[in-house]
Amino acid sequence: MRSIQKITLLLIISISTMLILFGSTIYYFQYNYAYSDFYKRLETRIGLTAKYTLKSNEPINQSLRMFREQHLEKLSYEKEYIIPLNDTTNLEKISNDSLLPLEFLLEIKNNKAARYQNYDVFYAGSIFAEQNRNFIVIISAKNYYATHHLILLRNVLIGGFLISVFIITYLSYYFSKRIYNPINKIINKVNNISTDNIHLRLEEIKNDDEINQLISTFNNLLTRIETTFETHKNFISNASHEFNTPLTSIIGEADVALLKDRNQEEYKDALNRILIQAERLDKISKSLLFLAQTGYKENRLNFDFIRTDELIMEAKEMMDQLIPENNIQINFNLLPENPLKLKVKGNKELLMLAFTNILSNACKYSNNKPVFISLASTNQEVIIVLKDQGIGIPPSEIQYIYDPFFRASNTKAYDGYGIGLPLTRNIIRIHHGTLDVQSVQQQGVTVQIKLPMASF
Amino acid sequence: MAINILIPIDFSVESLNTLKIVLEEHKNEQVHVVLIYAQNLSSSITELLFHSSRKTIQSLRNKDFDDALNILKNSYESSLKSFHIDLFHGSNVQAFTNFARANKIDMIYIPQHYRLQLNKNGFDPLPLIKKATIPFKEVNWKTDQNSSDNNAINKLFI
Repeated sequence: MRSIQKITLLLIISISTMLILFGSTIYYFQYNYAYSDFYKRLETRIGLTAKYTLKSNEPINQSLRMFREQHLEKLSYEKEYIIPLNDTTNLEKISNDSLLPLEFLLEIKNNKAARYQNYDVFYAGSIFAEQNRNFIVIISAKNYYATHHLILLRNVLIGGFLISVFIITYLSYYFSKRIYNPINKIINKVNNISTDNIHLRLEEIKNDDEINQLISTFNNLLTRIETTFETHKNFISNASHEFNTPLTSIIGEADVALLKDRNQEEYKDALNRILIQAERLDKISKSLLFLAQTGYKENRLNFDFIRTDELIMEAKEMMDQLIPENNIQINFNLLPENPLKLKVKGNKELLMLAFTNILSNACKYSNNKPVFISLASTNQEVIIVLKDQGIGIPPSEIQYIYDPFFRASNTKAYDGYGIGLPLTRNIIRIHHGTLDVQSVQQQGVTVQIKLPMASF
Repeated sequence: MAINILIPIDFSVESLNTLKIVLEEHKNEQVHVVLIYAQNLSSSITELLFHSSRKTIQSLRNKDFDDALNILKNSYESSLKSFHIDLFHGSNVQAFTNFARANKIDMIYIPQHYRLQLNKNGFDPLPLIKKATIPFKEVNWKTDQNSSDNNAINKLFI
């Protein structure tokens, strides 16, 4: 069943239930009231009748009779019964004569008052004492109100209910259709987007409701998919280029060497040059393999508690060996006083690799200008900020820096393969941290690494 | 000896550089810091009825600001004895002087070149501070006015 029908049905059922409850409550209380009220009317008439018939010698009672005849409504089929009651009264005989039920008369005799209903005829009676004699006074009438007005009320309620259900059905169908209309539009539009026209985006509506959020979520997802597509394309072209350059020189070198007979020295030179290029190839394929491994090998790594300040010191020592002319300055101004707040849980070799990668990039692209490292910690994270004064990254290319083999357009003069940064990001991701690279071209790059603090 | 210091801020990470410099200067003393944000009170009676300083401050704070504050708290744990953030609603020098006296302020530190970034109700308290009788001191750091740094917390690491 589709959602439109579901919502419509749900609305109809819930509102109809409410209406039925409402209507039947009205009917129930009206029904009860109609009956008790009618008995009360009968009892008023009993009192009056008893007064003016049994005490007819008092003048005031005569005026009561006139009052009743003039002002009190005559009930339909109203009848009066006055039965003298003494020890010898045969109630069975009276019952047979007057068609009054025997048990009703007995009940009046025992309880002094009683009510009785025979189909639509209502009876009320009670005992009155006058000059040491007892009388039973009974009034009976048909309940016109119950038989006519209640039926009318019932019909009105049922009719109103049916009309309301009809209107509710229409309204709920209309509203659910209205709610789902934009969603259906989105479905149609998304269906039109395929790999050929992935640059297409959904049109955003101006108001800020859930539908708009859904649209922007879709658009963001499409952007990410598009970037992945681009990355994939770039990766293949970059990778084949990287592999192609050394291969071309190997082939060229070998071709030249085989062109004619040469002496031993010349062959040695050629082989040496081939070896250099082959080693370069080996390095690229190894680092590519490593990059692939860090992408999925999360749960097979050994994680220890590491002090980040020590890690940075060691990374600097390693850089001193690799690039002796570096100018790395460590700034411990914001170091927390509590050493526990410097500890992270991680794999030392991998983190070391990540830091040396960033540091060597910073030194390389700034021609050994000063590189500043600062370390600080909030209550949940250790933050490491590295700043260099190098060539920076062009703003249009900053979104591709994590693509393997991607190299910014201003790095032609520097040696590299474009694997370091994606590798670093994989390592930081394994440690559930974040890597953020900000850059101003020609002024430098700021790298911020956040690692979650180890909890003890 | 304990010293009470007042610093105007704008709930940005960069404005906390004042606090960083102050704490570095008073490394070996005990410092109690009051950070103030100057804001005009609304003239609407219903807004005043539901006015709450705590909620206003809460709405102005953001994660980067809190992180930066935590960094400074962690770094100067032994000298930074207490700190709290307060709103200042006064509009004249006398009101500010009373506010500072009530907080027993010994010294006010203000940024020299950095301009506080204020939201629509906020106002710059520096003119009031400069006219008040409480001693104040200007500090300076290298501000990056044109930087479009998305990662605000980097501004603390200058």
